[in-house]
Amino acid sequence: MKNAQEPKSFNAIRPRIARVRCIVEASRVIEGEVLFSSSPIAFLQGVDPEKGIVSEKQHEIYNKPFANKILVFPNTVGSSVGAYVIYRLKENRVAPRAMINQVSDIITASGCALSAIPLFDLPNSKISELSKTKEIKIEKNSQIIVRS
Amino acid sequence: MYLTQSEEKALAGEYGEPLEIAYRVLLAIGRLGNAERLIPIKWAHVSGVSYLTIGDYGSDFLQRISKIKGTKFKVFTTVNPCGMDVENWDRLEIPPEYAEKQLKIISAYQKLGIANSFTCVPFQSYPVPAKGTHVSWAESSAAIYANSILNLRTNRESAVSALASALTGKTVYSDLHIDANRKPKFAIRVKFSSRRRLIGSVDYGILGYFAGKVTGGVIEFQGINSGMNLSESKALCAAVGTVGSSGMFTFGRSKDLECMDFTEKEYSNTFEEISDAKDGDAIVFGCPQMTIEELYQLSKDLIGKHFKKRCIVFCSSKVYDLARSRGYAGGIEKAGATFVRDSCADFTPLISSLKVSSVLTDSAKGAHYMKRVHGMKIALKDTKTILEQNLN
Repeated sequence: MKNAQEPKSFNAIRPRIARVRCIVEASRVIEGEVLFSSSPIAFLQGVDPEKGIVSEKQHEIYNKPFANKILVFPNTVGSSVGAYVIYRLKENRVAPRAMINQVSDIITASGCALSAIPLFDLPNSKISELSKTKEIKIEKNSQIIVRS
Repeated sequence: MYLTQSEEKALAGEYGEPLEIAYRVLLAIGRLGNAERLIPIKWAHVSGVSYLTIGDYGSDFLQRISKIKGTKFKVFTTVNPCGMDVENWDRLEIPPEYAEKQLKIISAYQKLGIANSFTCVPFQSYPVPAKGTHVSWAESSAAIYANSILNLRTNRESAVSALASALTGKTVYSDLHIDANRKPKFAIRVKFSSRRRLIGSVDYGILGYFAGKVTGGVIEFQGINSGMNLSESKALCAAVGTVGSSGMFTFGRSKDLECMDFTEKEYSNTFEEISDAKDGDAIVFGCPQMTIEELYQLSKDLIGKHFKKRCIVFCSSKVYDLARSRGYAGGIEKAGATFVRDSCADFTPLISSLKVSSVLTDSAKGAHYMKRVHGMKIALKDTKTILEQNLN
């Protein structure tokens, strides 16, 4: 985790715990601000891996940097080469600290696995519940702590 | 998911970075499918070879992995076609910038250790293992062929997951590796009102294209002869894999399955969806790549004839060498056709460089991709008709 900083203090006023399914585990505690998208992401041709942003102009998180964020989005769409784009984000040090999907797919899973980016999905709750979340802390690989 | 001690060690990086990455990929995919463990495989077939498909992102990753000392594929590994004829690209309208990038990808795979042929029909050139053997094949047409015709067991792997299988010699024990999941879930009943039968690669391609769209599970085909020839089964597998996610079909007559009829109406609707031109300015054969049987037949049909327009024939270099030694290749070239070896009609820049706007082909899969990747209009006709209309 070369690009992760030391965790800051986590001043949870009303922390909530959500259960997650771990696809690629985190090797240490991770926390970060949430970057939330209710629509899927196409990594190939929809993301600029040099800048680390969604490059599709119509996309709801267009131009918002992934770096140091917990990227929350339903799933990946488009070409399976997207897995290699995720790897490139990591190499360029502009990848998110972790990703959370509604239901992970093979492109996100293989891309995060190649790049050692922690990945979780949410079998028991709706991703939309995280839409107003400001920060997420991942201490264990089975649950996340959510601060709104 | 359960991992053995040595798999855990590999995952922890004790055997180097490439294996650490490969096991992480298998573990992640295993968790997606709630798999209980990994199993050894006898053969990996890796896709993601043409620069047109994996681009700089895939290429850079492969080059990096292949340069790490001691990184080798652990099992017999074949790879998909690349984007050009490696020995002949400069005479075949391939831009040098493309060739340079393609050669880097090829050299990365060669360092990792692959069989000496770039092919989407690996079962043509290498001995097929015993029925029931677990393999890990990307390339949907080959994976479906493996499950449905060869009785091998594989999931429809991705470029990355098959690469992980090649590096580890393992795959995730899930889906089509497990007997209980290889039973059909949905039936397609071929039901023509007339006495018309399905015959040739176009008919079977249209059936496959229809079936792949309506269901993603294991398909049971009813009302067709399972004794179809190699061209027909290859076309059926390729078309099923082009649209949708099904990884296998069977033949049968189960009464208790949800069933959809494939009548003349579905046939003609699907044909019109695929074929949007009356004729083509160039002919493309070999999607999937042509087999030795097909080249034999083509050479026979071409005796004393000559093509009126450009005709490109795609096959692997291994099949080409065999066809050359038997005299088929010489006959086909004499009729004016051009062979492109180890490459793919769908993902070579050659098709865009032909300076034509429409293509004649017998392949539903080729039609689908040449339309989308190269912006071609497509006339879908069977080989016999194409030859009747385009030879002097």
